[in-house]
Amino acid sequence: MKLFSTVSASIFLSILLICFSLSTQAGEFAEKKVVLQISDADPSKQTLVLNVANNLLRAYGPDRVSVEIVAFGPGLRLLFNENSNKSRIKGLADNGVEFTACSNTRKKMSKLLGKPVVLNPVAKSDSPGVVRIANLVTDQGYILVKP
Amino acid sequence: MTIKHLMSGLAFAGALFMSVDGMAANWLMLQGTEPSASVGRAKLWGFVQFQYQLDASDPNENGQTYIPPKMIGPNLTSQDAFNVNRARIGVRGTGFPLDPNVNYFVLAELGNNGITAANDGGTLITDASITLNHIKGARIRAGLFKAPMAEEGLQAIHVFDYINFTTVSNQLMLERFPNNRDSSNAGGLTLTEAATGGFNQFDKPVGAFRDVGVQVFDAFRLEQAWELSYAVMVGNGNGLNFSDTDNEKDVYAYVSLENLYGGGGPRRQGLKIFAWSQTGKRLLDKTGDGVYSPAYYDRERMGFGVKYLRKPFRATMEYMAGKGMIFVGPDKPTFDQNGAKPNADGSDGEASGWYVEGGYYVGNKWQFDLRYDVYNRLEGDPGANGNSFESEWKTVTLGVNYHFNKKTRLTLNIASRDVGSPEWDAGAGPNANMDGIAERYALQLTHIF
Repeated sequence: MKLFSTVSASIFLSILLICFSLSTQAGEFAEKKVVLQISDADPSKQTLVLNVANNLLRAYGPDRVSVEIVAFGPGLRLLFNENSNKSRIKGLADNGVEFTACSNTRKKMSKLLGKPVVLNPVAKSDSPGVVRIANLVTDQGYILVKP
Repeated sequence: MTIKHLMSGLAFAGALFMSVDGMAANWLMLQGTEPSASVGRAKLWGFVQFQYQLDASDPNENGQTYIPPKMIGPNLTSQDAFNVNRARIGVRGTGFPLDPNVNYFVLAELGNNGITAANDGGTLITDASITLNHIKGARIRAGLFKAPMAEEGLQAIHVFDYINFTTVSNQLMLERFPNNRDSSNAGGLTLTEAATGGFNQFDKPVGAFRDVGVQVFDAFRLEQAWELSYAVMVGNGNGLNFSDTDNEKDVYAYVSLENLYGGGGPRRQGLKIFAWSQTGKRLLDKTGDGVYSPAYYDRERMGFGVKYLRKPFRATMEYMAGKGMIFVGPDKPTFDQNGAKPNADGSDGEASGWYVEGGYYVGNKWQFDLRYDVYNRLEGDPGANGNSFESEWKTVTLGVNYHFNKKTRLTLNIASRDVGSPEWDAGAGPNANMDGIAERYALQLTHIF
């Protein structure tokens, strides 16, 4: 009985782990995978990249497309915490869009500003932007689009 | 929405306000701030307005002379004219894009209007300001910019629904500044005399609803659909002139509360109530003795109103009142008229006025407007011979706007005017000048770039 309980618990835990692993790799099962680059100083590009992300979600549905916006260079301003598009970004994040802020640009901008750049809480910033794009494209089959 | 609900909302806001981040569609924010972290170093922009105006007023009682309300400004040389009345080019943005807390705004006027006519044309800076957005709830704007005041003055002129201001805005709020000398009025001029520039004796530009100073302002979102805005400003009280000539400062205060319906930018839809005030002093020499010996006169203005926009309808109502430095005529470089056609002294005078206007939009192309405005100038003035010099100015304006696109429109206005001093007989006292003021027709083409 004790052995049965232990085996049952182990199987249950394994199933849980597999499910968790699957949920974190949901993008791999998306029909389409698109990484959007924003690296321009032109502020109209901020609106454009968010519009493109929104259009992808509307065209395919949040469950069938995996979208990530990678911001580096002057484009990193899109992911500043004070950015006027913050509510739009949150809306997209709530629908599965991921946001990456280039770690190198963040460090450089912080140095120029004289204080740490505060990013939008939905943005992760653990790798250089171009490295993230390269990994998504070559390793995970993402298509790169620069609006 | 009851008063109780309104007060509860304001109390809630006091405890939990959230400063609105730039580009909210009220004029304080639209003209003083930029979208946070999403604006470039320098956005070039501007607009051009070309117009034709025809004044159908009859000459004065003698059949030969005219006065400025019967002439086309700013030159006041004829009763009909083509004009490039505004040609403005400016740049706005943030000099250091990494820091969203600082933005600037610069604008220059190259058109022919009350701003440039005093200098015989040329270019004049109308706006040059820097805004610091570091303090939540208290943005600071410094420089030359629009003072927080009456709606027609505060809003951007290139989206103004009409061609000419209401009489109350034009005479009570669009300030003319006294010359450093006194000169008396010579009454009406013939067209030939007017054509040689006999009317334009002001040597400073109009105030253009602007001042040089410092303003503290912000807008707060209350719950989801309400926005509370405020502004307090201290300025030189000298319009577009970069100096303080009287050692006194003007103080402006403004507050508005708007129920937001949607949209953005200058055409955001909502129901807004607003109130404002301005207090200051001016130096004026009205002795006419050839010796410069000015005295201080109060200049106080206040107003309140409501504006509604929910397409296809628009409606606005505003009331304004003023005490001191009441402008009594565009040909007068002072505020005291002596001569054959007395029109009284506005330096200590009082005046008030109001307007109600409405608009109806048909799709994105057509817009039909109707405005009624009333101005009572020199209220309670003692006058002469037992007759007050108080005058009443009533105007009905019909308007049509055709929008070629969102940046280009053609505006037609027909204004029917009824002007007179009720205590004087026809042709007597001020009515000798005011009789015969009639319709004005205006056509204007506006392009924004």
